[in-house]
Amino acid sequence: MRNELLRTAAVSAVLVATMAVFSAAQAAELRLLTWSGYAPDDVVAQFEAETGIDVEVTFSNNEEMISKLRATRGAGFDLAQPSQDRIEGPQVEFEIYKPIDLSQIDTSLFIPSLLEATKGNTTVDGQVYGVPHVWGTSGLVVDRANAGDVADYGDLCNGSHAGKVSMRLKRPVLIGFAFSMGMDPFAAYSDPAEYEQILNKVAESLIACKADVKAFWEGGDQLISSISTGEVTAAMAWDTGGWKLNNENPDVTFVAPSSGALGWVDSFVLPARGENDEAAYKWINFVMQPEIAAKITGAAGNFTASQGADAFVSDTLKAQFNDSFPQEAIDNINWYPPVPAGLEDLEGRVLDRIRASG
Amino acid sequence: MSPAPDLDIRGLVKRFGRFTAVEDVTFTVPEGSFFSILGPSGCGKTTLMRMIAGFSRPDSGDILIKGNSTIGLPPNRVAANMVFQHLALFPTMSVAENIGYGLRRRGHSKSEIAERVERMLERVDLAGSGPKQINQLSGGQKQRVAIARCLVLEPALLLLDEPLGALDLKLREQMKVELKQLQAKLGTTFVYITHDQSEALVMSDQVAVMNAGRFEQIGTPQDLYYRPLTAFVAGFVGNSNRWRGTVSAVGAQTRYAAEGGFELIGQAVSGLSVGQPVDLFLRPEAITLSRGTDPEAAAANALVGNVQSLLFDGGNSMAIVAPDRGGGSITVALPQTGDLADLTPGEPVRLSWSAEQVTGFAAASAA
Amino acid sequence: MSVAALPSEGAGRAGLRLSLILLLAPALLWLGLLIILPHIQLLALSLKVKLGPRLYETGLTNYTEFFAESIYWSTLIRTAFISIAATALTLLIAFPVAYYIAKMIRGRRKNLLFVLALLPFWVSELIRTLGWIIILRETGLISLGLQWLGLIDQPVELLGNDAAILVGLVYTSMLFMVVPLVTVLDSLDDTLVEAGYDLGGNGFAVLREIIIPHAMPGIVAGCIIVFMLTLGNILTPALLGGKNSLWFTDQIFQKFIVRFNWEQGAAFGFLLLIVSSLVVWIGLKITRQSLASTMT
Ligand SMILES: Nc1ncnc2c1ncn2[C@@H]1O[C@H](COP(=O)(O)OP(=O)(O)OP(=O)(O)O)[C@@H](O)[C@H]1O
Ligand SMILES: [Mg+2]
Repeated sequence: MRNELLRTAAVSAVLVATMAVFSAAQAAELRLLTWSGYAPDDVVAQFEAETGIDVEVTFSNNEEMISKLRATRGAGFDLAQPSQDRIEGPQVEFEIYKPIDLSQIDTSLFIPSLLEATKGNTTVDGQVYGVPHVWGTSGLVVDRANAGDVADYGDLCNGSHAGKVSMRLKRPVLIGFAFSMGMDPFAAYSDPAEYEQILNKVAESLIACKADVKAFWEGGDQLISSISTGEVTAAMAWDTGGWKLNNENPDVTFVAPSSGALGWVDSFVLPARGENDEAAYKWINFVMQPEIAAKITGAAGNFTASQGADAFVSDTLKAQFNDSFPQEAIDNINWYPPVPAGLEDLEGRVLDRIRASG
Repeated sequence: MSPAPDLDIRGLVKRFGRFTAVEDVTFTVPEGSFFSILGPSGCGKTTLMRMIAGFSRPDSGDILIKGNSTIGLPPNRVAANMVFQHLALFPTMSVAENIGYGLRRRGHSKSEIAERVERMLERVDLAGSGPKQINQLSGGQKQRVAIARCLVLEPALLLLDEPLGALDLKLREQMKVELKQLQAKLGTTFVYITHDQSEALVMSDQVAVMNAGRFEQIGTPQDLYYRPLTAFVAGFVGNSNRWRGTVSAVGAQTRYAAEGGFELIGQAVSGLSVGQPVDLFLRPEAITLSRGTDPEAAAANALVGNVQSLLFDGGNSMAIVAPDRGGGSITVALPQTGDLADLTPGEPVRLSWSAEQVTGFAAASAA
Repeated sequence: MSVAALPSEGAGRAGLRLSLILLLAPALLWLGLLIILPHIQLLALSLKVKLGPRLYETGLTNYTEFFAESIYWSTLIRTAFISIAATALTLLIAFPVAYYIAKMIRGRRKNLLFVLALLPFWVSELIRTLGWIIILRETGLISLGLQWLGLIDQPVELLGNDAAILVGLVYTSMLFMVVPLVTVLDSLDDTLVEAGYDLGGNGFAVLREIIIPHAMPGIVAGCIIVFMLTLGNILTPALLGGKNSLWFTDQIFQKFIVRFNWEQGAAFGFLLLIVSSLVVWIGLKITRQSLASTMT
């Protein structure tokens, strides 16, 4: 009996040791934590062929990426892609990233203004933690045949589209409506009291608007199907959703709201306990090449921070982009500044209140 | 005009597909009597009982309880209750709850139910066992609870489907007597199913012998024993020595030539003709056994032979005798007086019997 | 003699105890490492109060906040009530199905029907829920069907309310109720039911006094499983629920994943554990069952 136990223990010990050896041997591997569409199969295959590094891709979103890295204190992945506004706060609070060695990156591949803005937004204690990759906006997806008058977030609640309006009950809706109501929530990021006041006003008007809302959408597919079936005619959503729908129904497209689309930049960060920085840098330099970047744009639907990639992007997408974004709309984009630590909890409470009301 | 019998069955038929399980059964059970249905396994006894209880519907025929037809009534509206082959006591209820179940269904008051249950328990000698759980009872006690559970409803008719089948031999003997006494005391009409002839003979006022879905004979236990009407009844009820043979003469007595070349003389039987093959029956206790070989050994209704073995069983002791003719062996009951107790195997003996004791029936194959 | 026998007997018992401990060791280890230890960690986490980035103190604020904010406790109550309702509804629907499978049919047809009951579980929960969306939505099967039949002249939206949540939860839970019920009803002797009728009971009395008491362990086991699964279900309420629909497990998820507030998430997790244990305990008390009797 006791011998049996000893043997079991010995076997487990050997097993654990073997596993440790294996994970060390797998150093020629890049574990990438990213959004779906950011690592298309053909790009991964090309990278693997050129470098001999295996890429293991995990799809996720901002919150999950941060939670995963927090749970492991920054281990388990070699490269991650949170939005640039979600780098400083989590780094301050949880220390889940490590600084980027910019000398390892070919900065000439980046659009300079985007690179500088991202570097500025992701600097903690004088060190840069992020470089930009893909950018896009959220705003309005509108069926112009039935809801042509919707030009700003507030128009969703003007009563003329009651029961045919949808939005996602997450932080962008609070911020979008704040701008639409003439306030500047980003300026209030640093002042919790003022920010809370803004949120309260937004909550009030969203609660009043709730009767008009058909449903708060959860997944992109859900929204797309309710717009293509005509159940919803105007919604707050991402630009790519609008363009995807535009391919099937020319009446539907993405509209940059008059108070400004909300601009986000998904970036590259190195997890604090990543094991293969070299592969991570290689991946960054690889995907920022204009032709590769255009492939990612084709898969994800959003443009990248790669200088000169536009030349390789499909004409349809370029036409859709130009239709949604005249020059003044681009200038009018409200780019997300870094989210200070603790803001999510404040917003969460307001979102709960809105959901529970009525 | 006499009152309607408690149970009146008329031309009952039940088929399962092309197989006829109960075929044209007709009988009546007078009030307060103990009626048994005796038959081998699979002859259709349970099928018949389930129709009476209302669980299944006959294909034709009628069932009347106290003069009212029960055809089409659900089992809970039939005025007969059933004691199941495996008792079917409710294991989730106590003894008192089991017995009170039917009374609760009738909506009696709690106090009345308690009182009647207690009285019933006393009558089946289980006073004070009310709070016990079913699994705390002995086999015989369970038996009595199952019966009490039905009797407390004072049914016109109690149906019992081999209720002693699950008990061991000793308990079965004891319960046999108890059941009969209980029935006599309560005066409830019992219809009792069994494949054990001794149960049927001991307890019943009337017995029906059933075979392959049909009733072969209905009568008192004595009728069946002494005056069987068919070969099946003669063979099934009680023990018999049995031969095959042919009719050699008819008249005031019937003469038979048994296989093996000896002659038997029996009572006159109508419907037999000379040369017809027959089955012949002779009860062990109808044979007189005497020591030694007699000069008249070759006479009719007598055989000589040697004792083959002795089966001592107190009052039921038997001798097995190997006869000089006819082959096989003959079972003979030894006198209860203890005469011949010193008989030994191998001893020569003489067997004889009177003509009234020999019964012949047309052989089944010839019919 | 007896004096001499004592020590050896003592040694024997000690030996027995040792082998018992060794036998139980894997189970205890599993219990300790996978269940108790994480819960202790969670409890410790729930007692940490965040003052600022990387600054914590010990206290009950995470719990007091739950009671102070009506959204939190009303969501928990709502979640518990819908879960109880879904459990009851599942039982109500599953019981006749299980009775039919266990008692009314035999042989091949029985196995076939049992497999049929299992069939929805060949696809993932997400697909199953999406199926319900396709059926219930404004442009879905039911709405179109009713319009086609001329029973309604406007499309109807059946999605996005508590009834839709219930439908989804009941559908997802059916199997977990049917299996223990079929098992327990299979073991019910048919003659007990017949005796129940024979002694004057109608269908309802037989059901109440004979079938249900016999099936009680299966009913309780099924209800516990379904209640726990429902309470912990996060996908179905999110996808089928309406604009006002809050679900407590979703709140816990939000606390952990979206708002990075692990401390309060842990406190909420504990409160959920307490409430669910309480509901199960009350359920066992009402039905006079013990956890042990339902597991056998
Ligand atoms: N539901 C049924 N379907 C088909 N055949 C049946 C059914 N019930 C009984 N039988 C057949 O009818 C015949 C009589 O069965 P029944 O149960 O009445 O016998 P029984 O005399 O009670 O036998 P036992 O002494 O063994 O209980 C049997 O051959 C049996 O196989
Ligand atoms: Mg039978």
